[in-house]
Amino acid sequence: MSLRIVPENSKATSFSHTNRTTSAPSAPGVHDTLRHGVAQSPFDAAAGKPSSAHPLEARLKSWEATQEALRMETLRRTYGIAEPVRRGMELKIVRDGEWRPLALGGGLPSVHEDILKGRDDMISWEDVYTGDEMRGVPGVHDEMERKLKMQ
Amino acid sequence: MPGFDFSNYNRNAALHAQGMPLPKATSTGTTIVGCIFDGGVVVRFSAIPLRPSMNLFPHPIKPPLSMIAADTRATSGPIVADKNCEKLHYIAPQIWCAGAGTAADTEFTTALISSQLELHAMSTGRKPRVVTCMTMLKQHLFRYQGHIGAYLVVAGVDPTGTHLFTVHAHGSTDKLPYVTMGSGSLAAMSVFESKWKAELTQEEAVELASEAILAGIWNDLGSGSNVDVAVITPEKTTLKRNLIKPNEKVPKQQSYKFARGTTAVLNEKIIKKSEIGRYVSVQEVPLESDKMEVDS
Repeated sequence: MSLRIVPENSKATSFSHTNRTTSAPSAPGVHDTLRHGVAQSPFDAAAGKPSSAHPLEARLKSWEATQEALRMETLRRTYGIAEPVRRGMELKIVRDGEWRPLALGGGLPSVHEDILKGRDDMISWEDVYTGDEMRGVPGVHDEMERKLKMQ
Repeated sequence: MPGFDFSNYNRNAALHAQGMPLPKATSTGTTIVGCIFDGGVVVRFSAIPLRPSMNLFPHPIKPPLSMIAADTRATSGPIVADKNCEKLHYIAPQIWCAGAGTAADTEFTTALISSQLELHAMSTGRKPRVVTCMTMLKQHLFRYQGHIGAYLVVAGVDPTGTHLFTVHAHGSTDKLPYVTMGSGSLAAMSVFESKWKAELTQEEAVELASEAILAGIWNDLGSGSNVDVAVITPEKTTLKRNLIKPNEKVPKQQSYKFARGTTAVLNEKIIKKSEIGRYVSVQEVPLESDKMEVDS
């Protein structure tokens, strides 16, 4: 385990706009513009895939995770493995118990998650500009079908 | 991607690869300065090892105070976009920030940190510290690797004393008794280097900072117009907006307006109100019925 402060350079060297997740069921491999619009698919965005090959985007995407890993590694070295495991467990319980459809801003963390992460006294750009402004939001049915693997 | 939107990056890169020229980046110019005054005691503290019995100070020990100053020109390449913009940004009552670089970035970054600092102060129940503000700024800017072009001078007074910092867009910081930033920083620094001394009264400090800004206004093409100064003391912050206005617009020497009656009247036709229905269709509207709703 490393004590890395900033994310390593994970910039993608190639980038493909079309992939299986944004294609129509009848025509796999072709980007379905009518269904998903011209921008990145909201499912890809929710999965944390970068929307470009820009080096800054990859850095920003993995920023929080790197900081979190550093915090957890420090806790492990100080208190032993039980501390990060407990925190991870609490975070997972809170995340699993909270599900909001993407149509209602599903990507945002809940209040409980914010408290566990120590971010409850903070409002940053990511809390306001969620990135959904430029993207089509899928309907609840579409999302549930995908979630339950019916599509 | 929340916050920044990268969705057009690949398209733009592909277009550029096919020979489309990239849009020209506009350079912005500014002169901002900050200095600590009444602070001679503090400087001597570090220079001479003290014994309690030694009385080296002819005047009573006063805590140092700080101030920042800025010019008011906003440029967009060769164009002066705003002749009297405000480059001194509020962060907390006793913490102010002068911004150079991309105007929108400085404005937005200082507003964001101001709100975070206020939330942090409420959470901890203490007055916000200048170092906290500086750390928040540098961490925020470092994360974006200089893509947020905010070059800032942070000055403030908090319970631990007076602090003056510069924060660069890439996240590096300085702590000095007098600092300058922006394209006019060299001109302003030359004034500080030759005239700044540890013991300055408030009036002297305001005059010195104004002179440094004036050096930027005259010698740097990116800086101009007026001088803004903010003096921060433990009691209050005084923002002296447009303290010096060396570039007042002079009234035009001649009037280019045509005198009434210059244009000859060739033809005159009078249409009475009762006959106007012949030329346009008239519909009478009761005045009160569709009045626009306004806040009053």
